[in-house]
Amino acid sequence: MMISGLVVTLAEDPRQQTLALDALRRDARIQLGEGAGRKLPVVVETTTAEESTALVEALGCAAGVDFVDVIYVDFSGTSGAGA
Amino acid sequence: MERRDFLKASAMAAATAAATRAFDKESHAADAPGKDDVRWDKAPCRFCGTGCHVQVGVKGGRVVAIAGDQKAEVNKGLLCVKGYHVGLALYGGDRLTRPLLKKDGVFKPISWDEAIDIIARRALANPAGFAVYGSGQWTIPEGYAANKLVKAGLTSNQIDPNARLCMASAVTGFISTYGVDEPAGCYDDLDRCDVVILWGNNPAEMHPVLFSRIIDRRSRGEEVTLIDINTRRTRSTAFCQHALTFKPNTDLAIALGIMHLLVEKGTYDKGFVEKFCNFRQRTEPPTLDGKAMTFEEFRKALGDYTPEKVEEISGVPAEKIRLLGDLFGRRDLKITSLWCMGMNQHTRGTAINDLVHGVHLLSGHFGKPGDAPTSLTGQPSACGTVREVGTLAHALPGGLVVTKDEHRKEAEEIWNLPAGRINPKPGYHTVEMWRRFCKPADQGGDIDTIWVQVTNPGQSLPNTNEIFYPSRKIPGKFLIVSDVYPTETVRNADLVLPSAMWVEKNGMVGNSERRTQQWFKMVEPPGEARDDCWQLIAVARRLFELGHPGMKDKDGNFLFSMRKDGREVPVWDFKHYYDINVDQQLFEEYRKFTRFKHKDLAPYDEYTRARGLRWPVVQQKDGSWRETRFRFARFDDPYAVKEEIQFYHSVTKDDRALIWFHPQEPAPESPDKDYPFWLCTGRVVEHWHTGTMTMRIPQLRTAMPQAYVEMHRDDARRLGISNGEVVIVESRRGRVEMPAWIDGRGQPPPGSLFVPFFDETVLINRVTLDAHDPLSKQPDYKKCAVRVLRKEPPGRTP
Ligand code: SF4
Repeated sequence: MMISGLVVTLAEDPRQQTLALDALRRDARIQLGEGAGRKLPVVVETTTAEESTALVEALGCAAGVDFVDVIYVDFSGTSGAGA
Repeated sequence: MERRDFLKASAMAAATAAATRAFDKESHAADAPGKDDVRWDKAPCRFCGTGCHVQVGVKGGRVVAIAGDQKAEVNKGLLCVKGYHVGLALYGGDRLTRPLLKKDGVFKPISWDEAIDIIARRALANPAGFAVYGSGQWTIPEGYAANKLVKAGLTSNQIDPNARLCMASAVTGFISTYGVDEPAGCYDDLDRCDVVILWGNNPAEMHPVLFSRIIDRRSRGEEVTLIDINTRRTRSTAFCQHALTFKPNTDLAIALGIMHLLVEKGTYDKGFVEKFCNFRQRTEPPTLDGKAMTFEEFRKALGDYTPEKVEEISGVPAEKIRLLGDLFGRRDLKITSLWCMGMNQHTRGTAINDLVHGVHLLSGHFGKPGDAPTSLTGQPSACGTVREVGTLAHALPGGLVVTKDEHRKEAEEIWNLPAGRINPKPGYHTVEMWRRFCKPADQGGDIDTIWVQVTNPGQSLPNTNEIFYPSRKIPGKFLIVSDVYPTETVRNADLVLPSAMWVEKNGMVGNSERRTQQWFKMVEPPGEARDDCWQLIAVARRLFELGHPGMKDKDGNFLFSMRKDGREVPVWDFKHYYDINVDQQLFEEYRKFTRFKHKDLAPYDEYTRARGLRWPVVQQKDGSWRETRFRFARFDDPYAVKEEIQFYHSVTKDDRALIWFHPQEPAPESPDKDYPFWLCTGRVVEHWHTGTMTMRIPQLRTAMPQAYVEMHRDDARRLGISNGEVVIVESRRGRVEMPAWIDGRGQPPPGSLFVPFFDETVLINRVTLDAHDPLSKQPDYKKCAVRVLRKEPPGRTP
């Protein structure tokens, strides 16, 4: 289990924002918080760290998303790094 | 509440705090992440020179969580992909845990006592041939100890850091312009400027949190114009309103073109220039002082650089040069320039640094919040440990140099050395040090031992086929490496020392904006791994025991003698190393050097409470310590007292900065019919430098598993190369194989290639050129001539 806290910066265009919010709501791994302007706090829960990284990458490229900042990561539930 | 729910609540709290408070000037710092059985403490991120602070969560003696530090002004709670995985850098499965000595080509474990004795005896046998090759990742106390060992103890000055490869041209640019190193501005400029100009810089990947700070302003509705002056399109380009792609090595012409327009249109800031600037041109051979020129001579020299002529040289349309000229000519805008390796790793590195400073000075875009020429550094302490502690071959701590009598005298006093102990002759710069290590003694190879700490020159030096590998075949050459993981350098070493890293030890670093940061040890290192600083002190002590006279001060005391309650603490014995705070002891001594060039630092304890302080840090009447955000500006810098701007270390001793003229000149190696492509090397967001740490973090390794060569689709089509096909990139010096990436993350124009250097299976520095800037001695990793070969074309064997 891997839990991360992210801040998603939504695009300026309201239609694009709606698209992004719909997509975020559809993904069961993502929990949405209370937005502040275009800044949306979200929590991502994945089974593995790799899945988490892939999801964050995908979010960064999603329609209606300008930027993703990761600000919290707990990896105590993962097996840790390997060589 | 279950642990999972607790963690989710903590993650949401941190994200919400960052979303609502990020970059809100009125915000107050949030607390550390929620209380659990996890113990949290602050530390700067281990990776880049941005200097973000993280909160490190420790449980059961292991780092288990990382959060952006809400109290940190640099990142205000945010981290990039590397930063939030930084805790995992400690836990690669192949940490080095025992000293290893190579015998008959095989590493055999030995004791620490044996290892320290071997090093000391190498230094004792030939002190002048014993060199230390360090790093901008050394902590400040580590670099200070190494510097003192070499300059006060061995008196050879044979010490130089890897930062020579990444920011030496920024140093010479600052010194030749202002008479003293390091940026006048700080990251606050990014919150205030109207225009950001990226000079060969890709902060979206290299300094992501800083870039996010700029982009965040846009998301709040502020207007910020971004201009990307590049040789290939990068992730940063996508966020810029203007992208100016120039032919490699023609950036000087662009800067000269802007100056030409400012002068010819009369839009330069006459008042600022007349009050605060002098003009300078280079001499032969070049020096940092150059020779004076008048404004009229300067104007005449710029005459050739019309927008049309610059277009012809650089390929950038004349109208874009006019756009830059017009922007700099406006007084109502605030302009910040950012640069990093693109300008520094350049055989004209000092010259282009001078010219960008010159554009800002000539146009008066200097000294007001938002108006600043600011170089960024790649390593967490390139500024703190290399530029400030002075671990370069010619330097002493605090901006002093070995070549000046009065500077040596000051250092001898602080170190309590007999007069005349410090050698006035600089040691060898990096390329020269390794070149001499790669030659037999009877052919000028007077360096026979190099001790490498916290860096990986086997992968990061340029032209390694000539300046690294040959040493491994010459009898009598001995390579010692202190590191945390087996690297290309470790594999080629004779003696390997396992080191503690990051929060496995106390530390202090200095980031790109003059901010000195501190952290405490939080977890134990694995196995027998030990602090680099202890290793240096232990070798000094062994030399002291073996009778090396340089290891004593003028009263006969050990150079690194530390006392507690009146008694000497044997810090050279690792059992007692943490009986006293060695970092604090060394830092308080180092602090005495920092007043000479107005780089004043506060006492150690102040840094234990702060998320870093920007020097000069000066004590106030009420006893508090105040940092400085804008140097040379009277409204903020306590040392600028005469005018609103005072360059108080001016080269010309009249409080003025220098505006230089340097002509555009060709590169030392350019594409030709045999080697028709330009090669540029660099970094990617997922990996930090040679990948020693980040390639051991599965998430980062998965995200970017292998190096590649980016090429334009027209070139690929012409050569019959398909996406992902393994090709050979070859120069006159070496060749490597890697997959081609067409229309990849970065997009070089036709005729140019890009290869990142993080991958130890693709040693691109076998191919690069070691030609370097004549003043900074920094090599050019951004431009050399190569060809691309398909692996199995008819008639060729790879
Ligand atoms: S931007 Fe640099 S300092 Fe900040 S989190 Fe990323 S790697 Fe670390």
